[in-house]
Amino acid sequence: MLRLLRSAACAAALAPAILASTAQAEEFSWAVTTDPQTLDPHAVNTAAVLGFLNNTYEGLVRRNKDMRIEPALATSWEPIGAGEGWRFHLREGVTFQDGSAFTAEDVLFSYQRAASPEADTASWFSPVSDVKIVDEFTVDFLTTSPNPIFPDSIANWMIMDSGWAEANAAERPDKESGNYATLNANGTGAFQVTSREPGLRTVLEPFEGWWGEVEHNITRAEMTPIQNPATALAALLSGDVDMINPVPIQDVARLQDNPDVTVTQGIEARVIMLGFPHQAEALKFSTDTDENPFADARVRQAVAHAINVPAILKTIMRDNAEPVNQLVSAAMRGYSNALGDGPAYDPDAARALLAEAGYPDGFSFGFKCPNNRYLNDEAVCQAITAMLAQAGMTASLDAMPVQNYWPELRAGNYDMFLLGWSPGTFDAEHPIRFLAATPNEAQKLGSWNFGGFSNARVDELLPQIQSEIDEDARQAMLDEVAQILQDEMAYVPLYVQPLIWGTRSNVTLTQRPDNFFILRWVSVN
Amino acid sequence: MLAYIIRRMAQSALVLLIVGLVAFAMFHFVGDPIDNMLGQERTADDIERLRKQLGLDRPFVVQYFKFLENAVQGNFGMSYRQGRPVIDILLERAPATLELAAVSGILAIVFGIALGVFTAIKRKGFAANAIMSVSLIGVSLPTFLIGILLIYLFSVELGWLPSFGRGNVVDLGGWSTGFLTTSGLKALILPSITLGLYQMTLIMRLVRSEMLEVLRQDYIRFARARGLRDRNVHFRHALKNTMVPVITVIGLQLGSIIAFAIITETVFQWPGVGLLFINAIQFVDIPVMAAYLMLISVMFVGINLIVDILYFFIDPRLRVDRTGGH
Amino acid sequence: MSETPIPAQKSRLRAALESDLFYTFTRSPVAVVAAFVVLLMLLASVFAPLIAPTNPFDPASLNLMNGFTAPMAANDFTGDVFLLGTDDQGRDVFSTILYGMRISLFVGVSAVLFAMVLGITLGLLSGYLGGWVETIIMRTADVQLTFPSILVAMLIFGIAKGITPVEYRDQMAIWVLILAIGLSDWVQFARVVRGATLVEKNKEYVEAARLIGRGSGAIMLRHILPNVLSPVLVIATISLALAIIAEATLSFLGVGAPPTQPSLGTLIRIGQGFLFSGEWWILLFPATTLLALALSVNLLGDWLRDALNPRLR
Repeated sequence: MLRLLRSAACAAALAPAILASTAQAEEFSWAVTTDPQTLDPHAVNTAAVLGFLNNTYEGLVRRNKDMRIEPALATSWEPIGAGEGWRFHLREGVTFQDGSAFTAEDVLFSYQRAASPEADTASWFSPVSDVKIVDEFTVDFLTTSPNPIFPDSIANWMIMDSGWAEANAAERPDKESGNYATLNANGTGAFQVTSREPGLRTVLEPFEGWWGEVEHNITRAEMTPIQNPATALAALLSGDVDMINPVPIQDVARLQDNPDVTVTQGIEARVIMLGFPHQAEALKFSTDTDENPFADARVRQAVAHAINVPAILKTIMRDNAEPVNQLVSAAMRGYSNALGDGPAYDPDAARALLAEAGYPDGFSFGFKCPNNRYLNDEAVCQAITAMLAQAGMTASLDAMPVQNYWPELRAGNYDMFLLGWSPGTFDAEHPIRFLAATPNEAQKLGSWNFGGFSNARVDELLPQIQSEIDEDARQAMLDEVAQILQDEMAYVPLYVQPLIWGTRSNVTLTQRPDNFFILRWVSVN
Repeated sequence: MLAYIIRRMAQSALVLLIVGLVAFAMFHFVGDPIDNMLGQERTADDIERLRKQLGLDRPFVVQYFKFLENAVQGNFGMSYRQGRPVIDILLERAPATLELAAVSGILAIVFGIALGVFTAIKRKGFAANAIMSVSLIGVSLPTFLIGILLIYLFSVELGWLPSFGRGNVVDLGGWSTGFLTTSGLKALILPSITLGLYQMTLIMRLVRSEMLEVLRQDYIRFARARGLRDRNVHFRHALKNTMVPVITVIGLQLGSIIAFAIITETVFQWPGVGLLFINAIQFVDIPVMAAYLMLISVMFVGINLIVDILYFFIDPRLRVDRTGGH
Repeated sequence: MSETPIPAQKSRLRAALESDLFYTFTRSPVAVVAAFVVLLMLLASVFAPLIAPTNPFDPASLNLMNGFTAPMAANDFTGDVFLLGTDDQGRDVFSTILYGMRISLFVGVSAVLFAMVLGITLGLLSGYLGGWVETIIMRTADVQLTFPSILVAMLIFGIAKGITPVEYRDQMAIWVLILAIGLSDWVQFARVVRGATLVEKNKEYVEAARLIGRGSGAIMLRHILPNVLSPVLVIATISLALAIIAEATLSFLGVGAPPTQPSLGTLIRIGQGFLFSGEWWILLFPATTLLALALSVNLLGDWLRDALNPRLR
């Protein structure tokens, strides 16, 4: 009955919207810095793509406003036996936006598609040995070893209709030349894409047949990519758009004084840190040493002591970011509360450590930094350069666009680098796997561990962490790893990047720490 | 004449080939597209496989010839970023840039010549001197700053004009135009002023300078002495004779309007080919960059050709020289 | 070629410089003010290390806590006062402007000189000689023009970056800028000089010079060059300001002077991020300085052009 009423209300709201953009139609427009490059949920595993597609596609589970997983296309799930896998019970009566029904076939198909070599999401399924359809609305995921976080790790895995994909020759993602699914979407989500002009605008309208409870009052939503932050800000101030993400940090204070605009702030999952060449024989860009001072943990600790993080947060980040002592923020599962604070700002201690390590007069080196990847990245790197100089470490800063940055890091062309890491699983295990584990191509470990940090105990603990079911035992191991990484100063964690969204003041929304913008939580008053 | 044009065409083709080669050499330095095509959880295997798939593991000369081979057949490849044919994207974006460039160009030429003539004739007047000085302020600031200041003043503070985009466009059989809607016309104002201001000043100063030069020539003095009216002297004789260098510069400037549109489009989020190109650089979308450069090259070479041909008609003395050779 | 000096021409130029030029100069208040501003800025740039209270290039001297101090106001944490305030890194804006101007002027003047010499030479050669010389030069110009100056600079930057070790990259960036801006500008000179040369070379006086047996070089330098200088001067004037602004634009696109060694353009790029946030001084002072510099150069050029043209007076 309720459903019927809602459909009627929707239809009533839609009718005038088609005729003219009248006042009662709640149109919403928002600006993003990066247009999602594809509508294919399995082709590119980036926040820009997955965040947007969360509005139109759905997974078996989804994250709620507090980042906990909750039922979506699966209504419940339970472990099979003693950690042999997970059984998902699917929601019945769900239809895709093209009208076809959602069944276990679609789940299997989406697994095969998302785990295929052409997909960018295959690593999510590396623990999975097999997927079996039990009946039309029950599916088993068998894992090679006990995997307590499996349901958590597939929250961004989205289900695609097998029939639709086959009919449109999009059975596999195509990163190189694209296919039908690159420009068209057909999910089960609350909104459907009604118009897609890549790089210009994407229009969404509510999907009337959606199974869930409607919380929003939007009749039409339009997303526009605006790269220049000043232009985006001007668009928000002039009311040309209703929401921008992010608001430049320096403008937060002013916007807070503006009655037409609301600033929503939160702590993002992304930790900003410094990385080092652990395995290099010598520095690449030094003019005064032919050794690699950064191979010595004392030098890395000296770096940590030399950097005045509170000053960076006070001025450049304008009190909008939190310091951090480990590779994940406190909002993440498995965050180590037991870990003590990292080295405090103390230039004298830094000099003493340098002298102890055999560099009483310091040394020079090359510092690589992106200039368009993280909030105020270049300014932060400049400040770090100045602070290190005051402790005797002379960095020559080379800031570059991110498209040049990753190849440079992969080629090992750095003596120190800036990195931001946001754990896709929202779990402390994630950065250990990607940043701290000894690089191992076959096991897909340490794939972002550019400097080749290697610690036998960390490598030993990682598989145990991955399969431990008991929360306390798992946390104890995570604490141990966090302690090792801090003692070794494998990376110097600096701060957690803030999330800053700006909206017109008549808009209410919910901000999630993964920086996903969820349209179904938006209302325009 | 015909032989000359044919020769120029052949030279132009050669120019295009060289441009393409240089462009492909440049892509090597713009960055690596792979990182944008794969997410955080990619492996080294994924990187290698995609690189191979895209043909990026081959030397740029080989990549270039493959591009040429396809380009000759009208196929500019698929955009890495958008996963659809580059030619479709360019055609979709071209009207925005061409409309912006046309409006800016017309503004620049009309106001440039008019103000140039005015300031030359009334060389000593207060108004002329004021125009000369004020125009200099406009070219003494970077375009992007002028754009941002205009947005700040007219969009944020006054709220008169939109801060970004093209407004509502009307699709006329594949050509999307902003000329037919109020919001489209309003959206054109700030970007076209930003883009045309520099060219206008340049044309104005050049026209003024050339006019002054011509006005002091003996034949103008004779014309005056013969009792011709000022109007006649200024427009029939003087203006016409300033046209050789002025047309050269206007020709060049038309090209740079398209080139400088990159900056204006970035500031105003104007959905044209310039913005497309900047985005392509950002995401190392090599097929889009290559096709854009080729398109711009064709346009520039074409403009140059037209300028040279115009020389023939305006200054007959050049004809003997050009067709006769030495 | 036979080299017969023409004393009459030389003395006329000198006479103009000694008397007429100076006389008109003193009679034009705009020119006097513009020249004064340019001279002041030149001196300030040259002596920047002596005048500037701090050295913004020395990272060890910076205190981040001094960041965002308003002009003539005491910093909340350190109590320090700065004449024109500080930027996001705690650098004294007055000092960064002095050093920035130094770099902007150096880049601008060098780039225009480079472009002018190259452009005039190639323009004269192609206009006067014609034939394959003209074809090669003007087709090269076409290739060059095909790439917008921004792209030329990006190309040069990319290549230079690929072949230069990182420790020299900051110093090199300035030379790359000069090369990039100069190379993107010569075509303007060349095309205009060629256009004018084509007209001049068929005029009677050139025919006459040729008839009395003057060599090509002499004709180009003594007869044609002085007659095409008027448009060249217009372009050079604008080019100097343009070069300074081009550098700023390149910064905006991320290929200008590095932020550790900021030019006026880099300062403006940094400052424009603070336009909406209330730290107006980070943008306003460098922008005003750039405006004053470019405007003065342009005004001076305007005047110089009129003054060098005796019949216009």
